[in-house]
This record gives sequence, C-alpha cells and structure tokens, in this order.
Amino acid sequence: MKRKDIETKYHEERQALFDGLRRLDRRGFMKVAGAATGAVLGRSLVHPMSFVPISVASAATGGKVERFRFAYISDSHLYEKKLNERFVRSLLRAVDDVNKMDPQPDFVLYGGDLAQLGQPGELKLGAEILKSLKAPVRMMVGEHDWYLDMGEKWRELFGEPSYSFDHKGVHFVVLNSVIEEDFWTARKMTPLERMQTVAGLDNALQNRFMVGAPQREWLKKDLSRHAPSTPVIVFSHSPLYKYYRPWNFWTDDAEEVQALLRRFDKAVVIHGHTHQLLTHRIGNIHFHGMLSTAWPWPYAPEGLPELTVQMNRADPFNPQDGCGDGSVELHPDGLVDKVYGLWNRNPVTITRGYMTSRGRTDRPDAPSLSSY
Amino acid sequence: MYAKRVAIGALLWLGCQTGSGAGQTPRARSERAPTEETVEVKLCDDRTTTTVPKDMPPTRENGQRVADSLMSQWKREHPNQAWEMKVTQSHPTIPPPADNRKVLEGAQRTDQTYALFTERDVLTWERETLKLVQEGARVFHDAEAMEGTIGVSCDMCHPDAANTHPETYPKFQTQLGRVVLLRDMINWCLEHPVKAPRMEPDDPRMRALEAYIIAQRKGVTLEYGKH
Amino acid sequence: MRQVARCWPRVLLGALMTLSPLTLGGPAMGQGGPAARGMHGATPFEQQLAMLDAFGLDKRPLQQAPRGVDAVVWAASIPADNALTPERVALGRRLFFEPRLSADGTVACATCHDVTKGFTDHRPVSEGIKDQLGRRNAPTALNAAMLTSQFLDGRSPTLENQARLPIINPIEMGMPDEASAVKALAGDAEYQRLFQRAYGRAVNFDDIARAIAAFERTLMLLESPFDRYLAGEKNAISAEAEKGWVLYNGKARCQTCHPFNLSNPLGSDGRFHNVGVSARHQKFEELATKALELLEKDASIHALDRLALETDMSELGRFMVTRNPTDIGGFRTLQIRNIGVTPPYMHDGSMQTLWDVMDHYNKGGEPNPYLDGGMEPLALSEEEINQVVAFLFTLTDARYAEENQRQMERQQEIARKKRPFRDEAMAFGRRLAFEPVKKEPRP
Repeated sequence: MKRKDIETKYHEERQALFDGLRRLDRRGFMKVAGAATGAVLGRSLVHPMSFVPISVASAATGGKVERFRFAYISDSHLYEKKLNERFVRSLLRAVDDVNKMDPQPDFVLYGGDLAQLGQPGELKLGAEILKSLKAPVRMMVGEHDWYLDMGEKWRELFGEPSYSFDHKGVHFVVLNSVIEEDFWTARKMTPLERMQTVAGLDNALQNRFMVGAPQREWLKKDLSRHAPSTPVIVFSHSPLYKYYRPWNFWTDDAEEVQALLRRFDKAVVIHGHTHQLLTHRIGNIHFHGMLSTAWPWPYAPEGLPELTVQMNRADPFNPQDGCGDGSVELHPDGLVDKVYGLWNRNPVTITRGYMTSRGRTDRPDAPSLSSY
Repeated sequence: MYAKRVAIGALLWLGCQTGSGAGQTPRARSERAPTEETVEVKLCDDRTTTTVPKDMPPTRENGQRVADSLMSQWKREHPNQAWEMKVTQSHPTIPPPADNRKVLEGAQRTDQTYALFTERDVLTWERETLKLVQEGARVFHDAEAMEGTIGVSCDMCHPDAANTHPETYPKFQTQLGRVVLLRDMINWCLEHPVKAPRMEPDDPRMRALEAYIIAQRKGVTLEYGKH
Repeated sequence: MRQVARCWPRVLLGALMTLSPLTLGGPAMGQGGPAARGMHGATPFEQQLAMLDAFGLDKRPLQQAPRGVDAVVWAASIPADNALTPERVALGRRLFFEPRLSADGTVACATCHDVTKGFTDHRPVSEGIKDQLGRRNAPTALNAAMLTSQFLDGRSPTLENQARLPIINPIEMGMPDEASAVKALAGDAEYQRLFQRAYGRAVNFDDIARAIAAFERTLMLLESPFDRYLAGEKNAISAEAEKGWVLYNGKARCQTCHPFNLSNPLGSDGRFHNVGVSARHQKFEELATKALELLEKDASIHALDRLALETDMSELGRFMVTRNPTDIGGFRTLQIRNIGVTPPYMHDGSMQTLWDVMDHYNKGGEPNPYLDGGMEPLALSEEEINQVVAFLFTLTDARYAEENQRQMERQQEIARKKRPFRDEAMAFGRRLAFEPVKKEPRP
C-alpha cells in the first residue's frame, strides 16, 4: 500500500504541472512540454502508456474535433478472488497502469467479459476494482457477463448495455454485440449450463453473436442525427466483422451494422473478445482489437485480417505475457492511433497513417518479448 | 472428485476391452445366471446381457421390458453415457481418425482368419480411436476433471487445441529447461497455469489429453524439435 | 542494508590501513602479515593464488570444453580473435591480480572477485578505490564465460567488453582513462614480454581485456555433488536435497528461469526479470523519468556504467540499457552454480541467506507495477523450503566443499534467528498482494 501512496503523490505532482501547462498558450505549452519530457517521446521505446507525460492536451482545435485520448481495459474474466487471484491481480495491474497515465485519459472503456461465469460475486468484485480508476469508466458487456442471468446483474450494476454519447466532437456508440439465438431452451439447459456453454470459446453448441434487428434499428436512428463528417467510434465486444466463426470471432449481422456506418467519412470500431493484436479495415471502417488482462487467445487457423501485426505466442510461465491494456488517441482528423500496452513486450502503436495507407507506411515492429 | 475419476477410468477400460477385438472373451454380465429354462439376450454392445424365460410370449410389452432391462443395466455401467453425444456436438472440429477402409480393398486372403479384416474391424478402430479423442476433449475443457484449483482449463488458452503443436515434440521447452515430450508439457501446464496436480504418464486422462491434442493437429507435418 | 555495508568493512580496514597498499596488492609482493586480510577486505592475493593453484585448472587441456559443458556450445562462446592459449591465460591471470590497474594501486579484479570467497567479495555491495561503495553486489566470476551477457543489467555483451569497464569506473578501479591503464603496465619489461607472447603486440587496452577474459574462461567450476548425482551416483546428495530438486523443477517454479542442461549448465536463462527486490525502496517512475532525461544526453556504455554504480538509478536495472518500461527493475537471472559460497544474494546483496531468498520467492516477490508476471505465490511449507535450500547447497563445486559447509552452517544459524522476508500469509494466498497487511498470529 506504500506503493499507492507514492503513486498518488506522484500523480499530484504531475497534475500540478499540467494545471500549470493549461494556463499557457500553445506556443508556451509546446515549450514547457518539451522541457518536461525531453525529446524522449520521439523514441519508439518509450511506452505510450507510461508515466511519461505526453502532450495530448488540446492545443489547437481547428475544427470541432479536439485531440484527446481514452484508455481501455478489457476481458478480465474474473472468478471470485478466493478461487483465482491471478486474474484479479492482472486487472489491478491494468487499473494501476491507467491511473498512472499522465495526463489522465478522458475516460476508460471497459471492453466486456469482466466476469468469467457471470456470477454476481464476480461482477461485483470487478465493479469494486474498477471504482478505483481515477478517470470515468464507460462499460461494455461481454458474453461472459451476460448468459447466467441474461444480463440482470450486469444491468443492475452498470445500466443498459447499449448507449451512445458525444465527446469532444466525436460520436461514440456502445453496443451489445453478444446476442445469441436461443440454443438452451430446447436442450433444457440450466442457466449455469447455458453460461458454461457460451464461456467455452470452442464450444459449438452455442450460436453465433449478433447485434440483432432491434438494436440495429436503434443504432440506425441514433446515427441518423449525425452528419457524415462526424467521426463515429463504435465499441462492440465481438469484432464487427467475420474473422473465424467457430470461436465467435464473428458477428453474424456484421454486414448490416457496417452498412449503417458506411455513410460516415471516418468510422472506427474498437472491440474486445479476441484477446490479441488484431487490425482490420473495410472501406471507411477501421477495426482495432483490445488486449485481455487475463490471457491471450491464439490466432484463429484462418481468416486473420491482413493488416494485423501479429504477436508471437505467449510464454505460459508468465501468465501476463500477451496480456495488457492500452489507449486510443483521437486526432482532429477523426482518426485514431491505437496503442497495445503489452505487459511483457514492447508496446505497439497502430497509427492512423498505417491504417489509411493500408499498411504501406508506419508499420510498427512486431511485439517481441522484452528482457532478452 | 474421486468418484469421477473412477468413472472415467472405467469408461476407458471398457473402451480398451471392446477395442481389442476378437481375441478377447467378452465377460458375461448378467443379473442372474442362465438356467435351462431361460435364454440369454445380448445388447448391441455385445457385452450387456440379460436372461428371459424361454417360453416368454413375444409381445411388444415383453420386448420393451427386455430392452429396458438391458438399457438400465447399460446406463448403470455407463454413468457418463451422455458425454459422447455432448462432446460430439460441442467440438465438431475434431478431425476424424485416419480412414482405414483401404485394407478392405482388393483381394484379401481368406485362408488366414488373422489377415482378414472386415468392415466391422475398420469401424471398431475408428470408433474406439474417436472415443479416446473425445474423452480427451472432455478433460481438456473441464478444470474439475483435471482437479484444477483456480478454474482454469486447457481450452482457455488453447481453443480447439490451438498452439499446442504436438508435432514439434520432442523439443527443448524453455519453461522446463530441457527436452521434453508432449506429456511433460501437459504436466507442466497442469502444475503451473492450471494449478492442478501432475498426472501419471499412464493416467487415463493424460492419455486422453494427448490423444485429443494430437488428433486436432491432424495433417500438420511432423517437425520434431521445432520451437 | 546499505548502512550495515558501510560499517563492517571499515572495522577490518582500520587495521589494514597501516600497511602500504603495494605490499598487499601484487602477487609477487608477499608478506600479507597476520591480518590475513588484504586491501578493501580482500584476502591477500598470495593466499588467493595458492588456493587457485590447488584447483588444478591449468591442468585441463585448453582446447577441450570444460567438464559438464556441451562442446559445440562451448566453442561458440569463445570469440574468434581470442582463442584460448596458455600464454593468454597466464597473462590474464597476472592481470586479474594486478592492482596497478587501479588509480591508487589498491584494487584489482581479485579484490571483489576473491578466489577464497567463490570469486565474490561476500559483501552486499562492492568497495573500490578510496573506500567508495557501489550499488550492486559483485556477481561471481566463476563460470561467467558461459553467461549470455555481462553485468547484472547485461549492459556488456562479452567478457572482453566487461573487463574494460571496472578499470576506468571512478568508484571501482578509478583509472582516468584507458591510456592511463596501459601506461601503468607498459613500462614493465615482464608485461612487454608477456603481451608479445600472448598477442604478438605491445601492451594495449584491448589485449588487457582479452587476456583477462581468456583467464576467466578457465574458471569453469561445474563439478558439484549434484553433477555426480545426475551422473547416476544416487548417494551424492541427501534425500532432502533430492526432494528439493523435484520442487526446483515443479512447485517452486525455479527451473524456468534457472534452467540446467549440458548446453547451459549455469542455471540462468540469461534474461532479465523484475522479481521485486528493488521495489522495496525505490520510486520507479521518478527514477525512470530522470534516467530518460540523462540518457538523452549521454547513453554511452560509460555513462550507463556510472549511473548503474553510483546513483539510485541503479535500481532501474535493465531499463537503463533498453529504456523499455517493461524492463524497469529487471536484472539478469543470476547463475545458481556455487550459490552456497557466494552470499549475500540478489543484485543488491540485500539477502543474507538462501532461506531469505526462498522466503522472497515463496510470497511471490514484492508487488510492484513492473513485477515479472511469472512471479506467483508458491505456497511452499517450511519443510519444502529447507529441501530446496538443501538442494541449492549441493550445487557448489567440490573444490569449495569446505567453504560450502561453513556457509551452510552460518546461514542456518542466521536463518534460525531471523527471517526478515518471510510472509506466509502471502505465500499461501491468505492475503493477496494488493490487500493491506493484517496482523496474523505466528504458528
């Protein structure tokens, strides 16, 4: 707990520095920021998630969109802590990481699968831990949170799973993309059996994920209020495209959802579920996966999007290898740089330049194990 | 837990027995010994038997009664009887075992019974192989069956046994600091990520796990020692 | 810890200061006196040399791999421009014990890599010229030839490169530059002859380093009771140690970072891990921010060397070399050979006994944001800890058997009185790393 104190103190010091910075004009800001950080940020070795303050304060807004960043934590798969403290430790590490970010992110996206088997105890434990985040949290639901009581406890703790909000000129939509058609009634499954079936990634008894017609209708209405020039960012637990069906790296009505996003100039989808570095682009839509804090999934045997910068397989001795958290930086042009903050490897940033050039420029180094 | 292990063991034992073919004498399993006034009726598994009075009228009800008797016996001896169906449906990606039908093609010698393979032989090999693999799939996905203590099972990192690379063993495994076989790595994973006790190399669950992992990589070229 | 370190060597030194540095330093200069302690607490060099002679290392054919090492891997670890020859080894041995390589003639390699102490100095951190203390524990020079990098943060890739740095580090041997070191020897006719014979050249700094490295390649001591056990002699180690070996490979999770095999017999994976030792007394973020600023100006190996030895940034470990935050507080896995005779332990010498080391790992290390993810509570019982420690004491080369026995008894005695790193609540998962300490009744 001594460590926490040091961090808090450090954070306060940094906060004071940045409070000071905000009072400066742009020219002054750049000067001070430069002095404070040295030129170290130009070096790729510096962890974009780290304690080093980075200059994301909105110096020049120009248009309506301001530059800002948000952090993400995803797929923690908590059991009750008495059963498994490993996953709890990992989520705490992510929370520590995000709390150390300087300046603090505008908000933190939680990417779903907070619980492993949707148990009230698991969800409550997760909610308790996420409360220690300094920045506001935006919650998204995953299938592991849902299929024990069909979202009852989750909704009680975090509210409705699909919603939208506007932030600094960007329209954000959060979806529940883990809806499956009923496979349990006919098989006379208990709620726990249903949950366990969905919890098995390779369990073929379940159905495919989808957003579903009613939610698509809502999405259509929600998006209709925005001009095509508005940058749109969609959060969904499953990838909103078709990668590998047997593992539900898949959304069955992905094309229908993509169609709703097509009229926008800039659309970004940030998704969980796949526990790996994963990058895809379909037309105007850029897709980025999130890391899990609990364990990495292997890449599927087929269907891997070409733009993906692959991660070598993880070292099982270190349960945190291949895991991590990350952040997303919004640029005034409405596009994002996506950071994979791998805990045991070099961090990887998928820049908007990499996305717009379809991988021809800005290709980051693949994440190697550090410490070799 | 103990009971569960016994059940699996028994199941596999049965698998072995039926798989070993014609050389074995099936052990009669009747609820009472046949007498002169009775006949023995066998279940289609060729093992479970019951006796009925020789002069029992061949009515539908009587037939049902015999069938029920046989099935209830079979169910008593196969408490996990639903598992195969469940595993088949849950894990349809398990590749089928090698097709041995080729041995039936062409002229087979009929003067030596040993060399004469039948359709039934080929089916037996296939079914028994698949059952061991399916049992492996079950254990692979079940933390409790592995006696794991933290709710972690193999499939959580290796869906469909992905990234297990059985075709690369023997190889130097950095986690163990030496050259190991697949079962050594399984045991290491049990002890560390899964936090379960190690299994004896001839533990039926270990054999089943190996079977499942190898089966899932069917068609991949053997590259021993590849890291 | 550091305060203790500052105190006790001075007591010893007080008595020695009356003697001239030169009479104590050189191998040829005899008369160690009744103190039996050389400069900076080192054993007088003639005593060290006598012990080294008794090892019989010079009887081994130089072209063969040492016992217990795979021949192909051994050959691959010797640089092409420094093939082992008797002349080079002899020169290197002389240089290893040469105090004239230090600014005030009081420090040689053998000061901190003392033959009688398993080629360490048995102090938490080492002492250089003018009694200056560094920040890190001197790792043994034994078997260092097989390490994949040198220094605890791996800032040096080879023995040849490593040997250069202490000579010109201001708080170790303190020579102002490489030329001064060459000058100190160049006038000596004996050295002129030896350098000619070894390398066919006049005295020069590169060859000083090469010769020292060549000598160090003969210091392969891998003949321990455990090696006899592995070779089939079942009674070479106790039943307790045998159980410790099983734990080493299993529950205690040692083997992954400390692997043993013919191709790598040292028990080090050569990688860098934050096991939480430095976390006890450092603010990583502040240090790292400061370090990045400094390294921006000068990231040369000499700058690194000074920061590692003279500043709090030493605790950042591997980060100083890679500037990758996942390396913060990471140090290269130490070899486990001869561990019984090389206390105190860890990169800062903060643990006096192997029981302390086991207590540290048993609780899963000190929690910190950069802790290696492989560190998990081990739930080892007291009996199991004793078994692993018993095993560790079987890894000492037979030539140190006596010192090993003495160390075992000494450490046992210390451990009986205090176990400062023991935390059973954490080791057995009754308290998780992120929960506050609650008073727990001692069993």
